[in-house]
Amino acid sequence: MPTVIFRSPDGTAHQVTAASGTVLMQAALAHGVPGIVAECGGNASCATCHVYIDPAQTGPVGPPNDVEDEMLDFTAAERRPTSRLSCQIRLSDTLDGLVVHLPEEQV
Amino acid sequence: MNTPTTAAPGAPVVELDLDELRRDPYPAYAELRRTAPLAWVPSVGRHLLTRYDDIVHAEKLPEVFSSREEGSLLLRTVGPNMLREDDPDHRRLRSAAEPPTRPRQVRDRWADAFEKTAHDLLDRIAGRGEADLIADFAEPLVAANLALVLGLRGASAEDVSDWSRAMMAANGNYADDPGIWLRAERATRAIEDAVAEAVTAARSEPDGSVISSMVHADPPVELSEIQNNVKVIIGGGVNEPRDVFGVGAWALLNRPEVLDRVLAEPASWKRVFEETARWVSPIGMYPRQLTREYEIAGVTLPAGSRVALVIASGNRDESVFERAEEFDVDRPHRPHLAFGGGPHFCMGAWVARHEVSALAWPLVFSRLRGLRLAEGTPASDDGPAAGRLDGWVFRGLTSLNVTWQAA
Repeated sequence: MPTVIFRSPDGTAHQVTAASGTVLMQAALAHGVPGIVAECGGNASCATCHVYIDPAQTGPVGPPNDVEDEMLDFTAAERRPTSRLSCQIRLSDTLDGLVVHLPEEQV
Repeated sequence: MNTPTTAAPGAPVVELDLDELRRDPYPAYAELRRTAPLAWVPSVGRHLLTRYDDIVHAEKLPEVFSSREEGSLLLRTVGPNMLREDDPDHRRLRSAAEPPTRPRQVRDRWADAFEKTAHDLLDRIAGRGEADLIADFAEPLVAANLALVLGLRGASAEDVSDWSRAMMAANGNYADDPGIWLRAERATRAIEDAVAEAVTAARSEPDGSVISSMVHADPPVELSEIQNNVKVIIGGGVNEPRDVFGVGAWALLNRPEVLDRVLAEPASWKRVFEETARWVSPIGMYPRQLTREYEIAGVTLPAGSRVALVIASGNRDESVFERAEEFDVDRPHRPHLAFGGGPHFCMGAWVARHEVSALAWPLVFSRLRGLRLAEGTPASDDGPAAGRLDGWVFRGLTSLNVTWQAA
Protein backbone atom coordinates (compact mmCIF):
# COMPACT_ATOMS: atom_id res chain seq x y z
CA MET A 1 0.00 0.00 0.00
CA PRO A 2 2.09 2.97 -1.22
CA THR A 3 1.59 6.33 0.47
CA VAL A 4 1.63 9.56 -1.53
CA ILE A 5 1.77 13.15 -0.31
CA PHE A 6 -0.04 15.77 -2.38
CA ARG A 7 1.26 19.23 -1.54
CA SER A 8 -1.00 22.21 -2.32
CA PRO A 9 0.48 25.53 -3.51
CA ASP A 10 -0.15 26.97 -0.01
CA GLY A 11 1.98 24.19 1.49
CA THR A 12 -0.86 22.04 2.87
CA ALA A 13 -0.02 18.33 2.70
CA HIS A 14 -2.61 15.65 1.94
CA GLN A 15 -1.40 12.14 2.71
CA VAL A 16 -3.09 9.36 0.77
CA THR A 17 -2.56 5.62 0.99
CA ALA A 18 -3.84 3.51 -1.89
CA ALA A 19 -3.45 -0.04 -3.16
CA SER A 20 -0.67 -0.79 -5.62
CA GLY A 21 -2.10 -0.52 -9.12
CA THR A 22 -4.28 2.46 -8.28
CA VAL A 23 -3.98 5.38 -10.67
CA LEU A 24 -2.58 8.46 -8.91
CA MET A 25 -5.44 10.69 -10.12
CA GLN A 26 -8.03 8.22 -8.81
CA ALA A 27 -6.28 8.03 -5.45
CA ALA A 28 -6.49 11.84 -5.24
CA LEU A 29 -10.18 11.94 -6.17
CA ALA A 30 -11.08 9.08 -3.82
CA HIS A 31 -9.55 10.99 -0.93
CA GLY A 32 -10.93 14.38 -1.89
CA VAL A 33 -7.57 15.97 -2.54
CA PRO A 34 -8.37 19.54 -3.68
CA GLY A 35 -6.82 20.74 -6.90
CA ILE A 36 -7.23 17.62 -9.02
CA VAL A 37 -10.15 18.19 -11.40
CA ALA A 38 -9.78 15.32 -13.87
CA GLU A 39 -12.63 16.41 -16.14
CA CYS A 40 -12.17 13.53 -18.56
CA GLY A 41 -12.00 10.90 -15.86
CA GLY A 42 -8.52 9.69 -16.70
CA ASN A 43 -8.34 9.51 -20.48
CA ALA A 44 -5.62 12.08 -21.09
CA SER A 45 -8.08 14.30 -22.97
CA CYS A 46 -8.47 17.33 -20.71
CA ALA A 47 -5.14 18.14 -18.95
CA THR A 48 -6.88 18.96 -15.65
CA CYS A 49 -5.12 16.46 -13.37
CA HIS A 50 -1.71 18.06 -13.84
CA VAL A 51 0.88 17.57 -11.06
CA TYR A 52 4.57 18.30 -10.52
CA ILE A 53 6.55 15.30 -9.38
CA ASP A 54 9.06 16.09 -6.66
CA PRO A 55 12.36 16.61 -8.55
CA ALA A 56 14.11 13.93 -6.48
CA GLN A 57 11.58 11.29 -7.59
CA THR A 58 11.13 11.78 -11.32
CA GLY A 59 13.37 8.78 -12.01
CA PRO A 60 11.16 6.10 -10.46
CA VAL A 61 7.99 7.72 -11.87
CA GLY A 62 9.32 7.77 -15.41
CA PRO A 63 8.62 10.08 -18.37
CA PRO A 64 5.22 10.95 -19.88
CA ASN A 65 3.88 8.92 -22.81
CA ASP A 66 3.33 10.58 -26.21
CA VAL A 67 -0.30 11.62 -25.76
CA GLU A 68 0.39 12.86 -22.26
CA ASP A 69 3.41 14.82 -23.49
CA GLU A 70 1.16 16.61 -25.97
CA MET A 71 -1.49 17.42 -23.36
CA LEU A 72 1.14 18.74 -20.98
CA ASP A 73 1.83 21.56 -23.47
CA PHE A 74 -1.69 22.83 -22.83
CA THR A 75 -2.06 22.75 -19.05
CA ALA A 76 -3.49 25.83 -17.34
CA ALA A 77 -0.47 26.18 -15.04
CA GLU A 78 3.01 26.31 -16.57
CA ARG A 79 4.60 23.09 -17.76
CA ARG A 80 7.84 22.21 -15.98
CA PRO A 81 10.33 19.38 -16.57
CA THR A 82 8.66 17.52 -13.68
CA SER A 83 5.10 17.92 -15.04
CA ARG A 84 2.93 14.82 -15.40
CA LEU A 85 -0.76 14.03 -15.76
CA SER A 86 -1.69 12.12 -12.62
CA CYS A 87 -4.13 9.97 -14.61
CA GLN A 88 -1.17 8.37 -16.38
CA ILE A 89 0.73 7.31 -13.27
CA ARG A 90 0.03 3.93 -11.71
CA LEU A 91 1.09 3.53 -8.10
CA SER A 92 3.37 0.70 -7.05
CA ASP A 93 5.41 -0.14 -3.97
CA THR A 94 8.45 1.48 -5.57
CA LEU A 95 6.54 4.79 -5.52
CA ASP A 96 5.88 4.58 -1.78
CA GLY A 97 6.64 7.99 -0.27
CA LEU A 98 6.04 9.87 -3.54
CA VAL A 99 5.59 13.62 -3.14
CA VAL A 100 3.63 15.49 -5.80
CA HIS A 101 3.02 19.23 -5.93
CA LEU A 102 -0.31 20.59 -7.11
CA PRO A 103 -0.36 23.49 -9.59
CA GLU A 104 -2.13 26.81 -8.92
CA GLU A 105 -4.85 26.09 -11.46
CA GLN A 106 -6.09 23.22 -13.60
CA VAL A 107 -8.46 24.93 -16.03
CA MET B 1 -33.11 -3.94 -19.61
CA ASN B 2 -36.51 -2.96 -18.32
CA THR B 3 -36.99 0.76 -18.88
CA PRO B 4 -39.25 2.46 -16.35
CA THR B 5 -41.12 5.29 -18.05
CA THR B 6 -42.42 6.85 -14.88
CA ALA B 7 -40.96 8.44 -11.78
CA ALA B 8 -38.77 6.34 -9.51
CA PRO B 9 -40.55 5.65 -6.21
CA GLY B 10 -39.87 8.62 -3.97
CA ALA B 11 -38.80 10.94 -6.79
CA PRO B 12 -40.65 14.26 -6.83
CA VAL B 13 -42.68 14.84 -10.00
CA VAL B 14 -42.33 18.33 -11.45
CA GLU B 15 -44.31 19.54 -14.44
CA LEU B 16 -42.26 21.71 -16.77
CA ASP B 17 -43.50 23.28 -19.97
CA LEU B 18 -41.14 22.51 -22.86
CA ASP B 19 -41.82 25.82 -24.63
CA GLU B 20 -40.96 27.69 -21.45
CA LEU B 21 -37.79 25.60 -21.03
CA ARG B 22 -36.74 26.46 -24.57
CA ARG B 23 -37.36 30.16 -23.93
CA ASP B 24 -35.51 30.32 -20.61
CA PRO B 25 -34.75 27.19 -18.61
CA TYR B 26 -32.78 28.86 -15.84
CA PRO B 27 -35.63 29.85 -13.44
CA ALA B 28 -36.93 26.26 -13.53
CA TYR B 29 -33.42 24.89 -12.93
CA ALA B 30 -32.90 27.21 -9.95
CA GLU B 31 -36.13 25.95 -8.41
CA LEU B 32 -35.19 22.30 -9.07
CA ARG B 33 -31.75 22.73 -7.51
CA ARG B 34 -33.39 24.25 -4.45
CA THR B 35 -36.34 21.90 -3.96
CA ALA B 36 -35.95 18.77 -6.09
CA PRO B 37 -32.38 18.18 -7.33
CA LEU B 38 -33.54 14.89 -8.78
CA ALA B 39 -37.03 15.24 -10.23
CA TRP B 40 -39.12 13.26 -12.70
CA VAL B 41 -40.29 15.64 -15.42
CA PRO B 42 -43.15 14.02 -17.38
CA SER B 43 -42.82 16.25 -20.46
CA VAL B 44 -39.17 15.18 -20.81
CA GLY B 45 -39.72 11.55 -19.80
CA ARG B 46 -36.61 11.61 -17.63
CA HIS B 47 -35.37 12.41 -14.18
CA LEU B 48 -33.55 15.73 -14.28
CA LEU B 49 -30.39 15.89 -12.16
CA THR B 50 -29.60 19.55 -11.62
CA ARG B 51 -26.95 20.12 -8.92
CA TYR B 52 -23.26 20.50 -9.84
CA ASP B 53 -21.91 17.93 -7.38
CA ASP B 54 -24.47 15.27 -8.31
CA ILE B 55 -23.79 15.74 -12.03
CA VAL B 56 -20.03 15.46 -11.52
CA HIS B 57 -20.60 12.34 -9.42
CA ALA B 58 -22.73 10.75 -12.15
CA GLU B 59 -20.29 11.66 -14.91
CA LYS B 60 -17.49 9.89 -13.10
CA LEU B 61 -19.55 6.67 -12.77
CA PRO B 62 -20.12 5.60 -16.37
CA GLU B 63 -20.55 1.98 -15.28
CA VAL B 64 -23.75 3.04 -13.45
CA PHE B 65 -24.86 6.04 -15.53
CA SER B 66 -24.63 4.37 -18.92
CA SER B 67 -24.53 6.20 -22.23
CA ARG B 68 -26.47 3.38 -23.84
CA GLU B 69 -30.01 4.68 -23.79
CA GLU B 70 -32.91 2.60 -25.05
CA GLY B 71 -35.15 4.33 -27.55
CA SER B 72 -32.68 7.16 -28.03
CA LEU B 73 -33.62 9.56 -30.82
CA LEU B 74 -29.93 9.95 -31.58
CA LEU B 75 -29.63 6.21 -32.19
CA ARG B 76 -32.63 6.34 -34.48
CA THR B 77 -31.19 9.30 -36.37
CA VAL B 78 -27.60 8.18 -36.92
CA GLY B 79 -27.37 4.53 -35.86
CA PRO B 80 -24.96 3.09 -33.26
CA ASN B 81 -22.27 5.62 -32.35
CA MET B 82 -19.67 6.36 -29.69
CA LEU B 83 -21.79 8.94 -27.89
CA ARG B 84 -24.29 6.22 -26.99
CA GLU B 85 -21.70 3.56 -26.21
CA ASP B 86 -19.82 2.74 -23.03
CA ASP B 87 -16.24 1.53 -22.80
CA PRO B 88 -14.63 -0.56 -24.19
CA ASP B 89 -16.46 0.08 -27.49
CA HIS B 90 -16.65 3.78 -26.82
CA ARG B 91 -12.93 3.90 -26.08
CA ARG B 92 -12.02 1.94 -29.23
CA LEU B 93 -13.92 4.38 -31.45
CA ARG B 94 -12.86 7.48 -29.55
CA SER B 95 -9.19 6.49 -29.67
CA ALA B 96 -9.46 5.96 -33.41
CA ALA B 97 -11.12 9.32 -34.05
CA GLU B 98 -9.44 11.55 -31.48
CA PRO B 99 -5.81 12.21 -32.52
CA PRO B 100 -6.60 14.98 -35.06
CA THR B 101 -8.57 16.91 -32.41
CA ARG B 102 -5.82 16.96 -29.80
CA PRO B 103 -4.46 20.41 -29.01
CA ARG B 104 -1.05 20.10 -30.68
CA GLN B 105 -2.67 18.85 -33.89
CA VAL B 106 -5.12 21.74 -33.76
CA ARG B 107 -2.26 24.22 -33.44
CA ASP B 108 0.14 22.64 -35.92
CA ARG B 109 -2.14 21.10 -38.52
CA TRP B 110 -5.39 23.06 -38.63
CA ALA B 111 -4.87 26.55 -37.19
CA ASP B 112 -3.58 28.22 -40.39
CA ALA B 113 -6.49 26.96 -42.45
CA PHE B 114 -8.97 28.00 -39.75
CA GLU B 115 -7.47 31.48 -39.78
CA LYS B 116 -7.61 31.77 -43.56
CA THR B 117 -11.27 30.76 -43.58
CA ALA B 118 -12.07 33.34 -40.90
CA HIS B 119 -10.32 36.07 -42.92
CA ASP B 120 -12.11 35.02 -46.13
CA LEU B 121 -15.48 35.26 -44.40
CA LEU B 122 -14.62 38.63 -42.92
CA ASP B 123 -13.37 39.87 -46.33
CA ARG B 124 -16.80 39.04 -47.68
CA ILE B 125 -18.70 41.13 -45.13
CA ALA B 126 -16.20 43.82 -44.10
CA GLY B 127 -17.38 46.37 -46.68
CA ARG B 128 -21.05 45.97 -45.78
CA GLY B 129 -20.97 47.53 -42.35
CA GLU B 130 -23.61 45.18 -41.05
CA ALA B 131 -24.14 41.46 -40.71
CA ASP B 132 -25.68 38.68 -38.70
CA LEU B 133 -22.55 37.29 -37.07
CA ILE B 134 -24.19 33.90 -36.60
CA ALA B 135 -25.39 33.26 -40.16
CA ASP B 136 -22.74 35.28 -42.00
CA PHE B 137 -19.68 34.34 -40.00
CA ALA B 138 -19.80 31.84 -37.12
CA GLU B 139 -21.86 29.13 -38.74
CA PRO B 140 -19.95 28.98 -42.06
CA LEU B 141 -16.64 29.23 -40.20
CA VAL B 142 -17.21 26.32 -37.86
CA ALA B 143 -18.85 24.23 -40.59
CA ALA B 144 -15.87 24.72 -42.93
CA ASN B 145 -13.44 23.94 -40.11
CA LEU B 146 -15.40 20.82 -39.25
CA ALA B 147 -15.36 19.58 -42.86
CA LEU B 148 -11.59 20.07 -42.89
CA VAL B 149 -10.88 18.30 -39.58
CA LEU B 150 -13.21 15.44 -40.46
CA GLY B 151 -11.60 15.04 -43.89
CA LEU B 152 -14.78 15.55 -45.93
CA ARG B 153 -12.91 16.93 -48.88
CA GLY B 154 -15.90 17.22 -51.23
CA ALA B 155 -18.31 18.78 -48.73
CA SER B 156 -18.94 22.52 -48.54
CA ALA B 157 -19.58 24.46 -45.36
CA GLU B 158 -23.18 24.79 -46.49
CA ASP B 159 -23.51 21.01 -46.86
CA VAL B 160 -22.17 20.48 -43.34
CA SER B 161 -24.51 23.15 -41.92
CA ASP B 162 -27.55 21.68 -43.65
CA TRP B 163 -26.71 18.16 -42.52
CA SER B 164 -26.17 19.32 -38.98
CA ARG B 165 -29.48 21.16 -38.84
CA ALA B 166 -31.38 18.19 -40.26
CA MET B 167 -29.91 15.79 -37.70
CA MET B 168 -30.32 18.17 -34.78
CA ALA B 169 -34.01 18.53 -35.65
CA ALA B 170 -34.37 14.74 -35.68
CA ASN B 171 -32.59 14.38 -32.34
CA GLY B 172 -35.23 16.59 -30.80
CA ASN B 173 -38.14 15.15 -32.79
CA TYR B 174 -40.20 14.12 -29.77
CA ALA B 175 -43.35 15.00 -31.74
CA ASP B 176 -42.44 12.32 -34.35
CA ASP B 177 -42.88 14.70 -37.30
CA PRO B 178 -42.44 12.57 -40.46
CA GLY B 179 -41.06 15.53 -42.43
CA ILE B 180 -38.23 15.91 -39.93
CA TRP B 181 -37.39 12.22 -40.17
CA LEU B 182 -37.35 12.39 -43.94
CA ARG B 183 -35.02 15.37 -43.98
CA ALA B 184 -32.68 13.64 -41.52
CA GLU B 185 -32.65 10.46 -43.62
CA ARG B 186 -31.65 12.46 -46.70
CA ALA B 187 -28.89 14.15 -44.71
CA THR B 188 -27.54 10.94 -43.23
CA ARG B 189 -27.51 9.25 -46.65
CA ALA B 190 -25.59 12.18 -48.08
CA ILE B 191 -23.09 11.96 -45.22
CA GLU B 192 -22.68 8.22 -45.78
CA ASP B 193 -21.82 8.86 -49.43
CA ALA B 194 -19.41 11.66 -48.58
CA VAL B 195 -17.68 9.54 -45.92
CA ALA B 196 -17.39 6.53 -48.22
CA GLU B 197 -15.65 8.74 -50.78
CA ALA B 198 -13.33 10.23 -48.14
CA VAL B 199 -12.50 6.78 -46.78
CA THR B 200 -11.43 5.58 -50.23
CA ALA B 201 -9.20 8.63 -50.65
CA ALA B 202 -7.72 8.34 -47.15
CA ARG B 203 -6.80 4.69 -47.68
CA SER B 204 -4.31 5.62 -50.36
CA GLU B 205 -3.51 9.09 -49.13
CA PRO B 206 -3.68 9.60 -45.34
CA ASP B 207 -4.34 13.28 -44.56
CA GLY B 208 -4.34 13.50 -40.77
CA SER B 209 -8.09 14.02 -40.63
CA VAL B 210 -10.55 12.26 -38.32
CA ILE B 211 -11.76 10.00 -41.12
CA SER B 212 -8.19 9.20 -42.12
CA SER B 213 -7.31 8.48 -38.51
CA MET B 214 -10.24 6.07 -38.21
CA VAL B 215 -9.36 4.38 -41.51
CA HIS B 216 -5.83 3.67 -40.32
CA ALA B 217 -6.73 2.82 -36.71
CA ASP B 218 -5.60 -0.33 -35.00
CA PRO B 219 -7.85 -2.24 -34.38
CA PRO B 220 -9.60 -1.33 -37.63
CA VAL B 221 -12.89 0.56 -37.68
CA GLU B 222 -15.68 -0.53 -40.04
CA LEU B 223 -16.95 1.84 -42.72
CA SER B 224 -20.42 1.95 -41.12
CA GLU B 225 -18.84 2.88 -37.79
CA ILE B 226 -16.91 5.71 -39.42
CA GLN B 227 -20.09 6.91 -41.14
CA ASN B 228 -22.19 6.91 -37.98
CA ASN B 229 -19.58 8.63 -35.88
CA VAL B 230 -19.01 11.31 -38.50
CA LYS B 231 -22.78 11.90 -38.41
CA VAL B 232 -22.64 12.41 -34.65
CA ILE B 233 -19.68 14.76 -34.90
CA ILE B 234 -21.43 16.82 -37.59
CA GLY B 235 -24.61 16.86 -35.51
CA GLY B 236 -22.94 18.50 -32.54
CA GLY B 237 -19.84 20.02 -34.05
CA VAL B 238 -21.50 23.01 -35.70
CA ASN B 239 -23.83 24.44 -33.10
CA GLU B 240 -21.57 24.20 -30.08
CA PRO B 241 -18.65 26.38 -31.22
CA ARG B 242 -21.09 28.61 -33.13
CA ASP B 243 -23.15 29.18 -30.00
CA VAL B 244 -20.20 29.89 -27.73
CA PHE B 245 -18.96 32.39 -30.30
CA GLY B 246 -22.34 34.11 -30.52
CA VAL B 247 -23.14 34.26 -26.83
CA GLY B 248 -19.64 35.44 -25.90
CA ALA B 249 -19.55 38.15 -28.59
CA TRP B 250 -22.99 39.35 -27.52
CA ALA B 251 -22.03 39.41 -23.85
CA LEU B 252 -18.96 41.52 -24.62
CA LEU B 253 -20.80 43.92 -26.94
CA ASN B 254 -23.11 44.55 -23.99
CA ARG B 255 -20.17 45.22 -21.69
CA PRO B 256 -17.86 47.70 -23.44
CA GLU B 257 -15.64 48.10 -20.39
CA VAL B 258 -15.03 44.34 -20.22
CA LEU B 259 -14.46 44.23 -23.96
CA ASP B 260 -11.85 47.00 -23.72
CA ARG B 261 -9.98 45.09 -21.03
CA VAL B 262 -10.09 41.87 -23.05
CA LEU B 263 -8.82 43.64 -26.18
CA ALA B 264 -5.95 45.08 -24.16
CA GLU B 265 -5.05 41.68 -22.78
CA PRO B 266 -5.48 39.02 -25.47
CA ALA B 267 -4.62 36.18 -23.08
CA SER B 268 -7.99 36.76 -21.45
CA TRP B 269 -9.92 35.46 -24.47
CA LYS B 270 -9.43 32.04 -22.91
CA ARG B 271 -11.29 33.19 -19.79
CA VAL B 272 -14.04 34.66 -21.94
CA PHE B 273 -14.44 31.29 -23.62
CA GLU B 274 -14.67 29.29 -20.40
CA GLU B 275 -17.01 31.80 -18.76
CA THR B 276 -19.28 31.91 -21.82
CA ALA B 277 -19.50 28.12 -21.92
CA ARG B 278 -20.39 28.12 -18.22
CA TRP B 279 -22.89 30.98 -18.41
CA VAL B 280 -24.93 29.67 -21.38
CA SER B 281 -23.78 26.12 -22.03
CA PRO B 282 -24.25 25.23 -25.72
CA ILE B 283 -25.22 21.71 -24.65
CA GLY B 284 -27.71 21.97 -21.84
CA MET B 285 -28.23 18.35 -20.96
CA TYR B 286 -27.50 14.82 -22.03
CA PRO B 287 -29.16 11.54 -21.20
CA ARG B 288 -27.96 8.59 -19.17
CA GLN B 289 -29.63 5.31 -18.22
CA LEU B 290 -28.94 3.39 -15.02
CA THR B 291 -27.38 -0.04 -15.29
CA ARG B 292 -28.37 -0.87 -11.72
CA GLU B 293 -30.19 0.52 -8.72
CA TYR B 294 -28.41 3.60 -7.42
CA GLU B 295 -29.12 6.33 -4.90
CA ILE B 296 -28.42 9.90 -5.90
CA ALA B 297 -29.73 13.26 -4.63
CA GLY B 298 -31.70 11.44 -1.96
CA VAL B 299 -33.64 9.18 -4.34
CA THR B 300 -33.03 5.51 -5.05
CA LEU B 301 -33.36 5.03 -8.78
CA PRO B 302 -34.18 1.55 -10.09
CA ALA B 303 -32.06 -0.07 -12.81
CA GLY B 304 -33.08 1.23 -16.24
CA SER B 305 -34.11 4.67 -14.96
CA ARG B 306 -33.61 7.50 -17.40
CA VAL B 307 -31.70 10.48 -16.12
CA ALA B 308 -30.82 13.76 -17.78
CA LEU B 309 -27.60 15.33 -16.56
CA VAL B 310 -28.51 19.01 -16.79
CA ILE B 311 -25.08 20.57 -17.12
CA ALA B 312 -26.60 23.98 -17.91
CA SER B 313 -28.06 23.89 -14.41
CA GLY B 314 -24.88 22.63 -12.77
CA ASN B 315 -23.07 25.56 -14.37
CA ARG B 316 -25.47 27.96 -12.59
CA ASP B 317 -25.26 26.20 -9.20
CA GLU B 318 -24.88 28.96 -6.58
CA SER B 319 -23.06 26.63 -4.21
CA VAL B 320 -20.19 26.50 -6.71
CA PHE B 321 -20.42 29.77 -8.66
CA GLU B 322 -21.22 32.98 -6.76
CA ARG B 323 -23.71 35.19 -8.62
CA ALA B 324 -23.95 32.29 -11.04
CA GLU B 325 -26.45 34.04 -13.30
CA GLU B 326 -23.95 36.80 -14.08
CA PHE B 327 -21.44 36.79 -16.91
CA ASP B 328 -18.18 37.57 -15.13
CA VAL B 329 -14.84 36.92 -16.79
CA ASP B 330 -13.08 37.71 -13.51
CA ARG B 331 -14.82 35.12 -11.38
CA PRO B 332 -12.60 32.81 -9.33
CA HIS B 333 -11.94 29.88 -11.53
CA ARG B 334 -13.96 26.74 -10.86
CA PRO B 335 -14.22 24.06 -13.53
CA HIS B 336 -17.48 24.26 -15.49
CA LEU B 337 -19.36 21.29 -16.88
CA ALA B 338 -19.98 22.53 -20.41
CA PHE B 339 -17.68 19.97 -22.05
CA GLY B 340 -19.19 17.12 -20.06
CA GLY B 341 -16.98 14.87 -18.01
CA GLY B 342 -15.62 11.38 -17.76
CA PRO B 343 -14.87 9.28 -20.84
CA HIS B 344 -17.24 11.34 -23.02
CA PHE B 345 -15.44 14.63 -22.29
CA CYS B 346 -16.01 16.69 -25.44
CA MET B 347 -13.73 15.51 -28.23
CA GLY B 348 -14.01 18.87 -29.97
CA ALA B 349 -13.02 20.92 -26.91
CA TRP B 350 -9.57 21.86 -28.18
CA VAL B 351 -10.81 22.60 -31.70
CA ALA B 352 -13.55 24.85 -30.32
CA ARG B 353 -11.25 26.65 -27.92
CA HIS B 354 -8.83 27.46 -30.69
CA GLU B 355 -11.26 28.42 -33.44
CA VAL B 356 -13.37 30.61 -31.16
CA SER B 357 -11.08 32.11 -28.54
CA ALA B 358 -7.75 32.22 -30.38
CA LEU B 359 -9.12 33.12 -33.82
CA ALA B 360 -12.75 34.05 -34.34
CA TRP B 361 -13.31 36.55 -31.53
CA PRO B 362 -9.94 38.34 -31.83
CA LEU B 363 -10.27 38.62 -35.63
CA VAL B 364 -13.84 39.85 -35.58
CA PHE B 365 -13.15 42.49 -32.94
CA SER B 366 -9.92 43.65 -34.56
CA ARG B 367 -11.12 43.76 -38.16
CA LEU B 368 -14.65 45.15 -37.76
CA ARG B 369 -13.91 48.62 -36.38
CA GLY B 370 -16.52 50.13 -34.11
CA LEU B 371 -18.42 46.88 -33.87
CA ARG B 372 -21.69 47.22 -31.96
CA LEU B 373 -25.07 45.63 -31.66
CA ALA B 374 -27.54 46.65 -34.35
CA GLU B 375 -30.45 48.72 -33.18
CA GLY B 376 -33.19 46.56 -31.78
CA THR B 377 -30.86 43.72 -30.77
CA PRO B 378 -31.74 42.91 -27.19
CA ALA B 379 -29.12 43.28 -24.51
CA SER B 380 -27.80 40.09 -22.98
CA ASP B 381 -29.20 41.13 -19.64
CA ASP B 382 -32.76 41.43 -20.96
CA GLY B 383 -34.02 38.24 -19.37
CA PRO B 384 -34.20 35.60 -22.07
CA ALA B 385 -33.25 38.34 -24.54
CA ALA B 386 -36.48 38.70 -26.41
CA GLY B 387 -36.36 35.42 -28.22
CA ARG B 388 -32.80 35.60 -29.52
CA LEU B 389 -31.65 32.91 -27.10
CA ASP B 390 -33.34 29.63 -27.73
CA GLY B 391 -33.23 26.06 -26.55
CA TRP B 392 -32.60 23.99 -23.46
CA VAL B 393 -31.12 20.72 -24.77
CA PHE B 394 -28.97 22.96 -26.95
CA ARG B 395 -28.95 26.70 -26.38
CA GLY B 396 -27.59 29.61 -28.34
CA LEU B 397 -28.41 32.85 -30.14
CA THR B 398 -30.53 32.46 -33.25
CA SER B 399 -29.00 35.64 -34.69
CA LEU B 400 -26.57 38.38 -33.73
CA ASN B 401 -27.10 41.49 -35.82
CA VAL B 402 -24.25 43.97 -35.62
CA THR B 403 -23.01 47.08 -37.38
CA TRP B 404 -19.55 48.62 -37.77
CA GLN B 405 -17.72 51.30 -39.73
CA ALA B 406 -17.37 49.82 -43.18
CA ALA B 407 -13.95 50.33 -44.70
